[in-house]
Amino acid sequence: MATPGFAGKILLVNLTNKEIRALDTEKYEQYGGGQGTGTALFWEYCVVPGDWDLQDAFHPKNMVALMTGAVSGTGVPRGARTSVSGLSPQCYPIQWFGHSNFGGMFSTFLKMAGWDGVAVIGRAESPVYINIVDDKVTLEDAKALWGLNSWECQEEIWKRSGIRYGQEWQEIDGRYTLQRPAIVTIGPAGENMTRVASLIHGGGSGAGQGGFGGVFGSKNLKAIAVVGTKGIKIADPKGLKDIEVWYEKNWPSGPGFGGFGPPSVQSACIGCGQFRKCHNRDRAHSQDSDDCAESTFFSLMPEYGIDREAITPINQKGTDIVQQLGINAMETCFMGPMSFDTDHNPDFPIQPKVPAYTALGWYMKKMYDMGVIGPGTKYDMAPLNMKDFATQEFMEIYGLALAKRYGIGDLLAEGTARFAEKLGRTDDFNTLCRLTMWGYQDHWSMPGVDWAYGNLMDSRDINSHDMSFGNPSGGFGGFGGGGKEWTCEDFVKVQAERTTYNDPFWFDFSWEGKQAYKTGVFSKHKAEFVAWRMHYWTYYKESVGFCDWGYAQLFSRSHPKGYGHTPEAEPRYLNAVTGRNHTFEDGLEIGRRAWNLKRAIFTLQGRHKQMENFAGYMYRPGASYCGFSPELPIYDGKKWEWQNCRELFLTREGVDQWKTHFYDIEGWDKDTGYPKRRTLEKLGMKHVADFLKSKNKLG
Amino acid sequence: MAKDKKSVGDKDGKKFSRRDFLVVGGTALAGGALAGYPAKTTATEKENEYAPSTAYLVYDSKHCAGCYSCMLACSLVHEGETNLSLSRIQVHRAVLKKYPFDIEINVCRQCPVPLCVENCPTGACHISVENGNIRMIDSEKCIGCRTCIESCPYIPHRPIWNPVTEKAMKCDLCTDAPYYNKQGGVNGTQACVEACVANALKVVRELPDQTDISGYDRDLQPPRKAMPGFPFGPPKAKSKSETSPDTL
Repeated sequence: MATPGFAGKILLVNLTNKEIRALDTEKYEQYGGGQGTGTALFWEYCVVPGDWDLQDAFHPKNMVALMTGAVSGTGVPRGARTSVSGLSPQCYPIQWFGHSNFGGMFSTFLKMAGWDGVAVIGRAESPVYINIVDDKVTLEDAKALWGLNSWECQEEIWKRSGIRYGQEWQEIDGRYTLQRPAIVTIGPAGENMTRVASLIHGGGSGAGQGGFGGVFGSKNLKAIAVVGTKGIKIADPKGLKDIEVWYEKNWPSGPGFGGFGPPSVQSACIGCGQFRKCHNRDRAHSQDSDDCAESTFFSLMPEYGIDREAITPINQKGTDIVQQLGINAMETCFMGPMSFDTDHNPDFPIQPKVPAYTALGWYMKKMYDMGVIGPGTKYDMAPLNMKDFATQEFMEIYGLALAKRYGIGDLLAEGTARFAEKLGRTDDFNTLCRLTMWGYQDHWSMPGVDWAYGNLMDSRDINSHDMSFGNPSGGFGGFGGGGKEWTCEDFVKVQAERTTYNDPFWFDFSWEGKQAYKTGVFSKHKAEFVAWRMHYWTYYKESVGFCDWGYAQLFSRSHPKGYGHTPEAEPRYLNAVTGRNHTFEDGLEIGRRAWNLKRAIFTLQGRHKQMENFAGYMYRPGASYCGFSPELPIYDGKKWEWQNCRELFLTREGVDQWKTHFYDIEGWDKDTGYPKRRTLEKLGMKHVADFLKSKNKLG
Repeated sequence: MAKDKKSVGDKDGKKFSRRDFLVVGGTALAGGALAGYPAKTTATEKENEYAPSTAYLVYDSKHCAGCYSCMLACSLVHEGETNLSLSRIQVHRAVLKKYPFDIEINVCRQCPVPLCVENCPTGACHISVENGNIRMIDSEKCIGCRTCIESCPYIPHRPIWNPVTEKAMKCDLCTDAPYYNKQGGVNGTQACVEACVANALKVVRELPDQTDISGYDRDLQPPRKAMPGFPFGPPKAKSKSETSPDTL
């Protein structure tokens, strides 16, 4: 009997031998659902057999797992994410076990078909798509779909059914639905196994990070389509509905955030309940269009006269193209959503504009301008005509060349880090490129160092917008802006209280002198907070399915005491759905379990303390120029004050000290970073400890 | 006056079994549902036979966010589970169609001439006088003949089929919602309306214009304030080219 909130079964498809199996969800519930379950499945089906080296994401033995969480499809607000996990082709230099997620309808439809997730291993002989109609799962020929872009592919699958969706009630074993299947698919970028290929669902929902579109392509898997007619059991339906009232009373609806560009009619993921203008219905350029990363693909280039605030024709077309081709916009864009004027540090290599992302397009242009590629070099720019740069035509050819590996596109398709490596310019990782240590674009990680530390300990940009600790009175921080003036001390007290651990020094961003080691960014306090944050992130967001734009929320201006809905909302919703009586801390412990299992996979892949170092730019002035929330809490030993931390940078000694604290808190060996037996056994994972021992990788 | 009108659909007090209906039901369908009204009867005359509902669910498909929260809430409070197939309001999202054709919303119209009531052979589908004349289905009386579903003149049909109970269900404005802690119905609240954060659902008292869909599909938005732009400040006004219908 499945726990309420779960469908009870997980679909395992082996494309090599066409075996389709149903696994009991119950066995994996201890890992929390979503990414936790994906990690456990990877361990069981990809690690334990021990028949490959866990290095190549395009290997048929890699798994791509699309998993839902307990709240998906239950109407719990902001709970519709689908987790994607497996070895990640984008990660550099090792293709770490990675993950991504996407919103929309897919997770709900999957559960309503009776499945908590679908995990795919193997490689089909020729293109296929997986068609799920309630319990019936088939592998369908996708030869005619191969080559279609992501929108065309979805349209074609819908057309194949011959059903008039929305008009005609479809009967499925005596049950009925009006809905068209939810489809996640790849475009040409995935088919051609680029390392920057997304999974695309609907018009603009996508799993970008990790390059899982390429993993689909490597498996000859074009798409997964699902429609269901079943229900999701809710343990306490009345209680779940009543939480709406409790929530609205404590956190009355605010104005939310806008997106880029002019006001529009918003669309949302299933059950969103509070919109952040992530998507829009009425943009002229595309349907269900994303208003964040995708719209930045080619628009935000002020030095080329393209207004970063406007929805320009190039921007509109670019938004379409990345989604149709299935390209990760954030990794391949030309400037990113921000650039900063700076004259703070004349030695900083990128002057006078410091781009937030030194993404692939930007880096390619930089290399061209520097004469590294292009005329007179061994790297021909064809099919790109650099004279047309900043035109729509150029942007379209850039996208196509990248997605289809035409000409220079074949190099670009390897992503920024491998492109730089191919050019023999890995030193750029310490100077020009703002790439995180694992080959991803830096996001907003600095000066909020906990985000950066999260990137370092995980395998990706943790993309965790929720914990921005900037001054809520003046800026974006704390999901705020304007309103009541908050003293720094009061602000920190609220944050600390809401973590349930009540340690204000978790939020001290002192980065200079002894204070940095005592209570600041290199201290044990910061290590404890990052551990808390990663356990929270692993469970509540990546496994349960809560959206990053709603969770966590430690601080809220709409509450009279400044309380955010964390730590009350999460267990309230979950317990009403599942019937469990979990505390907030119980959830953190599940997160710790999944986090440690992932650490064990990293360890087997080659992760070692010595590898866990930031890229060079993080250790020099300028590291934080691009942070959008620079005014952070600083404790000087006597009092708390807001301080502009745009000058914040780290030291190698400090980070080394921080790592020692972090490993100690996590129960990992301080010299290697390997998990210890005691740690794993306390988490109920003796089998993992035994396996690591057998590989001489136990800490 | 209402008491003089038909308030229950239990025709002539006769109780029908499912088997009885299978024998005679086809006649009612052919003469009633497919034509809209029985022959030689005008619309006004037919409307006068039925007490009008005192509440109607209307919607704003141009501002719906397509989040299906209404459907999840509907099935939750009525069935105790979330189930898109058991929602009495049906939103269908075609995400790749151009706005505003990307979202369709289908609600029970609480018809002036409710053919679901008219044709129900057992009186299960009835006009509930004590609940503001809402057209409701009494599940105790429902024999699962699907006549109400098939009688509904709208596409897709608004009464829906519950495969577990093998009975029909329809929107009752949350009058009988066993998993709802609030008072529903015409004088109460409705789970779908509550769940909608796009202000795209509302219950109104007056009979919507029946001429076409516009009576139910209306602009329900309060005057809108500009959203703060992220993260650069207030957004700019729409340019002409962005607001032109030609570009949508």
